[in-house]
This record gives sequence, structure tokens and C-alpha cells, in this order.
Amino acid sequence: MRAEGSAPPDRRRVIAVLAAALVACRAGASEAAPIGEIRFGLTPVFLNNDLELLARLQSYLERATGHPVRLITRRTYQEITALLTTRQIDAAWICGYPFVTHRSELQLVAVPLWRSRPLYQSYVIVGNDSEARSVADLAGGIHAFSDPDSNSGFLVTRALLAEMGVRPEGFFARAFFTYGHRNVIRAVASGLAGSGSVDGYVYEVMVQIEPELTGRTRVLRRSEWLAFPPVAAPRTPLDETRLAKLAGALLAMPADPDGHAVLAMLRLDGFAREPASLFDAIAAKVDLLARAG
Amino acid sequence: MLGRLDPRSWPITAKVPLAVAGLMVLVGLILSERVLARLADTQERHLRDLAQSYLDGLSSAVAPSMLRDDTWEVFDAIERARDLHRSLRPLETVVSHADGRVIAASDPRRYPVGSLNEERQRVQVAGADSFSFEAGADTATAVRKLSYPGQTVGFIEAVFDTRHLAAERRSVMFALVATNGLLTLVLATAGWFLMARMMRPVTILTNHLGLARSVSAVPIAEDVVMRQRGEFGRLFRAYNALAASMDERETLVKKLAEEERLGSLGRLASALAHEINNPLGGLFNALATLRTHGHLAHVRANAIGLLDRGLLGIRDVVRTTLAAYREEKRARDLAASDLADLQLLIAPEARRKAVGVLLDNGLDGTVPLPSTPVRQAILNLLLNAVAASPEGASVFLSAEVSGHLFVASVRDRGPGLPEAAAQVLTGPAAATPLRDGGLGLGLWTTRRLVSELGGRIEVDRPGEGGTVLRLIIPLRSGEELSDVA
Repeated sequence: MRAEGSAPPDRRRVIAVLAAALVACRAGASEAAPIGEIRFGLTPVFLNNDLELLARLQSYLERATGHPVRLITRRTYQEITALLTTRQIDAAWICGYPFVTHRSELQLVAVPLWRSRPLYQSYVIVGNDSEARSVADLAGGIHAFSDPDSNSGFLVTRALLAEMGVRPEGFFARAFFTYGHRNVIRAVASGLAGSGSVDGYVYEVMVQIEPELTGRTRVLRRSEWLAFPPVAAPRTPLDETRLAKLAGALLAMPADPDGHAVLAMLRLDGFAREPASLFDAIAAKVDLLARAG
Repeated sequence: MLGRLDPRSWPITAKVPLAVAGLMVLVGLILSERVLARLADTQERHLRDLAQSYLDGLSSAVAPSMLRDDTWEVFDAIERARDLHRSLRPLETVVSHADGRVIAASDPRRYPVGSLNEERQRVQVAGADSFSFEAGADTATAVRKLSYPGQTVGFIEAVFDTRHLAAERRSVMFALVATNGLLTLVLATAGWFLMARMMRPVTILTNHLGLARSVSAVPIAEDVVMRQRGEFGRLFRAYNALAASMDERETLVKKLAEEERLGSLGRLASALAHEINNPLGGLFNALATLRTHGHLAHVRANAIGLLDRGLLGIRDVVRTTLAAYREEKRARDLAASDLADLQLLIAPEARRKAVGVLLDNGLDGTVPLPSTPVRQAILNLLLNAVAASPEGASVFLSAEVSGHLFVASVRDRGPGLPEAAAQVLTGPAAATPLRDGGLGLGLWTTRRLVSELGGRIEVDRPGEGGTVLRLIIPLRSGEELSDVA
């Protein structure tokens, strides 16, 4: 109730901030960010269209950091990762896979806690009319991946196939990317794809939000627990202070009512500082693929 | 029964509303057909436009993705287009390559990605950029060929649910039928009321004319005539004038008939006088003989015998005449003796013409019929028969009661009754009595008398010549008898 009741003022404020940002842009006649603005990139983790979530997150971060915040979304992981590695944004919520591959250029800011742990799984799902009993049964079918830069939506399955000694294009009759975990679920639920690789966290959240969609699918395989998609920043931050404030705001989210509301919408428990070694399992998969060629 | 089924015999108050109803139904059918045809046209055009806009939107959304073979983007575009065009009710949409391989379909289970359907491909090539919709069909199909300059990239085939259009047409048809039916009913009822109202003067006139056929013409009441204006007013007044003139003529004819009666009486009287006069000469001779030779016993006895017989004959004649023409104090029933009286009455006239009159009296006691008109009628027929008979011939009179009918027949050996005279006897009551100057008056009177008794006359011309006139009168029932008494 409280979350909904406070939504409209937040939106108005977002519009005001956006308008201010636009004015600032014009005045500076430059593509550069106005002084003090935090640019925070978001990968289409799960609800890439949830404007309310974005508005509330922005609102919380602005209040918690005292800086204007611009949330930047792109269609693919790659675009966000590129923004990050080219130091165009302060920080971004990216996937573990690009974090691992760009480890030398990035630093870990915070890792979300899901069910109290900074871990999640990758699922291979099939339509609930499928008779497949293992991933091997999916041979010759159509597979939906989420994003080529996604750990759970691509890397995990890819590595699994590599362990089996096959490549996706040889194993599946056809594989395509949907650029969104929710899209993978839709593709499998509609029958467009016979199976799909999906973020286990997103899938579990979707089971609660859209049970009629996930109800048409079932989980064929759950991967081992892997590091949750982290919030990362360029190894050399754009602005130390802003990054520190952003990290503080993220870590303080559970204690703040607005932050707590955003976390509730994301079905997360909070953010934590974790060692980079958390991502070693993912790095091992990347290495496996590199060896497999 | 069949007569009632024949529409020509129906009353005009029914025919006009029925005709109105029939025309309304016809108009309703034609209008409904036109409306439904136009509706089907509009629906098809509307559907075609919507389908085109659907395909336009989808084409621009999927064309780049088709080039990239991006299954997900095509599928997502199909799903978004389906949400955007809910009113069009797309049932299924299939996007395929130029070679017929499916890129994505709204129902991937039915059209799996990459599947090749040669039949589908053939249909798509043949029906490139086509739209097919048949009124009443459950679905409409639209095919769009996507091409970049000079090259076909692929096809979009969309099937739309059109059952709601059929349902709409059905509901429009029901509305039309209901409206037309109600209008027809209302107009037919209004027509019936109007016709009944307009036809009322005609009904009045018809009733009066119907009365006039059985009795004399009855004029329409003055207040009814006063109420009626326009042509019916004039018609009523004309009818009343006609009724008045008919009435006058009726009176005149009655008077003529009375005169005819008196005339026939005169003829009978002269015959009677002749009958009395004949023996009178003999009687005076007898008297003269008595006067001169009265002292001779045998002569005297002979003369007295002559006088006696002559006077007896005169007395018989006088008695019969008295019996036939005495003032009847009260109506009495016809008796068997009345026929004998008639024979006596006609006898002088018959003798004068040297015609025999033979009687076959089948009556016993009395017959429940008034004697005077029956006797008058038979007498007229006898007089006619005697007049028509050649010298030396005979006229036969027979009478009997057969069931509930009194039948008297008069047969003569004359040259046969002229057709005009027969017409007077058997034709309608109103037939003119004076067609050839008084000849038919006696017969007409007879016809009237018999008609008044509810009877009829049959004219028969047997092969051996002459005429048989048969008088058939139904006997009065007991109630009527008591009324008369």
C-alpha cells in the first residue's frame, strides 16, 4: 500500500529531474554528464519495462546519494558493458559473465543478496508438455538463449554443452537470443522454442508475478549456485565520491523504507560487499569454453 | 370448405390487410437483403482496411528482423501486433521466408520455427498480397508479400476471426425481421380497421340489397343516410330512390294482380252464366210445354222431370261457385274436397273449350297448407292449361303429399309453355310480370303465391308433347300452424 501510494510524487519528481537534466544538457551544449550526476547502467535483468521500479530506484538513489541519478538501460548486456568499460557511466548492474571477462577493467561495487545469499542458479527450462528428462534429450530442438553476454542465460548452458563435447549450433537444430530472461520464458511457454536458458532468480520471481506464464514451463535442470549478477564500476572510477555514495546507498537499502520497497519489488534482500573470488566458478566456465574453442 | 380457401372469395376487409402484409413482407425482404448485403460489404471493407493496417504495422516491425532471421524479434512483433489489434481478432499469424520456411508464428507449436510447408508456400506465392473473406465464414485470410526492391524477403500470412461479424449480421437480420414483422402486423391491423371502417357503408348497402332479394327493397334509415357523406351518401340516396320506385312498382303489380283475379273471376262468371243459360232454354221449353200440355199426365211428369234436372244442375253450379268464392271467415287448411271443387269450377270453362279435366286426387283429409292461395294457384294453372289445350284434349290434375312436400301437377296437351312464361314461373321473384302484355300476369300471380308459401314451380316438357307444371310446396311445421291458429 505504501509503495503504491508514494509512487506518483516519485514519478513527478523523476520527470522534474529529467527535465532539469535536459536543461542542463542544453546549457552545457555537451554530451558530458552534468557535474555530480550519477549515471547508473542497468542490464535487462528481468523487468526491463517496469517503469515504476526504475522511477522508485532512481528516486531512492537520488535521495540516498544527494546526487541526481540517471538510470541507463540498453537492449543488450553488451551495450551496458561497453558503456562501463569505456568509462561513460559511474556504475552498472551487469552480469557475472561480462564482469569476469572484463575483470581487469572493472571493480566490484556490491552483490545483491537473494534469499540472503549472493548466489543464484541458471535454469534450463522446457515447455511443460515436453518429455525431455535431461539436457541430452534436447538435442535437435530449438533453444532460446537470453543474451550472449549472460551467465545464466547463455554461459552456463554453453559450458554444459562443452562438457558434453558439443557446441550449441551443433547440438540444437536452432538457437536464438531473446535479449531478456522473461522473453526466454515467453518463447518456451509459447512453444517458439523447445527449451531455454534462463536466470533462476528471474524465473523464481516470475513464478510469483506471472504464474500463468511460468506455469506453461517446467525446470529441466538447475545449475550449481553461482555468483549473483553484480554491480560493477570501472576499475578507475569516474568520481570516487559519487561511487562511494552510490555503494553506500546500495548497501543501506534494506534499512531505508524506500530502498526496502525497491528491494521488495526486486524480491531481493539487500546488497553486500563480496570478494571478487565469488566469481571464480563463472571464470572457470569461461576458461572451459576458451579451452574447448 | 374449398370455397373458403379460395382467396377470391375472402372479404375485402381481409384481402386488403393481407395484401398490405404481403407487400410489406416483400418490401421487408428486399430491404433486408439490401441492408445485409451492404453490411457484408462494409464489414468486408472494414476488415480489409484493418487487416491492411495490421499487415502494414507488422511488416514495418518485422522486415529488418526477417532479414536478420531474428526469430525472437519477429515473434515479439507478432505478439505486440496481436495486442495492438485486439479488435481485429488475429487468430494466427505466420511470418515465413520467401522459400516458405517459417521464421516465427503466433502459434509456434502449429508452425514450428524453420518448418517448411510446401502447401503453405504454394498458397502464399499464389495469393501474394491477397485478402480473402467470405461473408458468413468464420475466418478471413490476408497475405502480404514483403519485398525489398526487386527481391521477395518473405510472407506474412494472417488469419482473422470473423465469427463476431457473422454474429453481428445475424443480430442485424433478427432486428430487421422483428421490426418488419412488427410493422407488418401493425400495418395489417391498421389496414383491417381502416377497411372495416371504409367498407361499413358497403356492408349496410349489401345487407339492404340482401333483404331486398327475399322481400321488397327496404330503404336505408334516414339518419344513416344523413351521416354518410361523399359518394356513399349519394349511393345511399340513389338506393333509397330505387327502393321507393320498386315499392311503387310492387304496389302497382299487386293492383294489377287483383285486377287479373277479378278478370279471371269475370271469365268464370261468364262461363257460369253460360252454364246457367244453357239449361234455362230447356227449362223455359218445359214451362211452355207444361202451360200448354200440362193436363197430360205423362207430358207434365216429363216436363217437371226436365225442370227438376235443370234446376238441380243450376243449383250445383251455384253451390260450387259459392263454395269456391265464399268469404272465408278464417284461414282453413287445404282439404281433398278443394281439388274436387276446382274440377267443378273449371268444368264450365273446359266444356266451353271442349277440353276434358281429369283429377287424380291423392289427398286424404286435410293438408297443413292455407287453402285459398293453394287453390288460387292451382286454378290459375288449370285455366292456363285449358286455354293452351287443343279441342278434345284433356288436362290432368294430380295432387299428393310426399314426405314434407305437397306436390300438385297440371299436365296439358298444348303446344308447350313458352320460354318467357316458364321464366315467369321459375325465375327470380322480382322478374317482371308484364313482359308481353298481360299474358304472364296469371302465371306471375301463381309464382308469387307459391313463393309466399315457400314453394317452387317446376316446368317439364315431356317427350310426348304438352307441358307438366309441378307445384311443390313444403308443409307447414306444427309451430307455424299454432302461430296461424
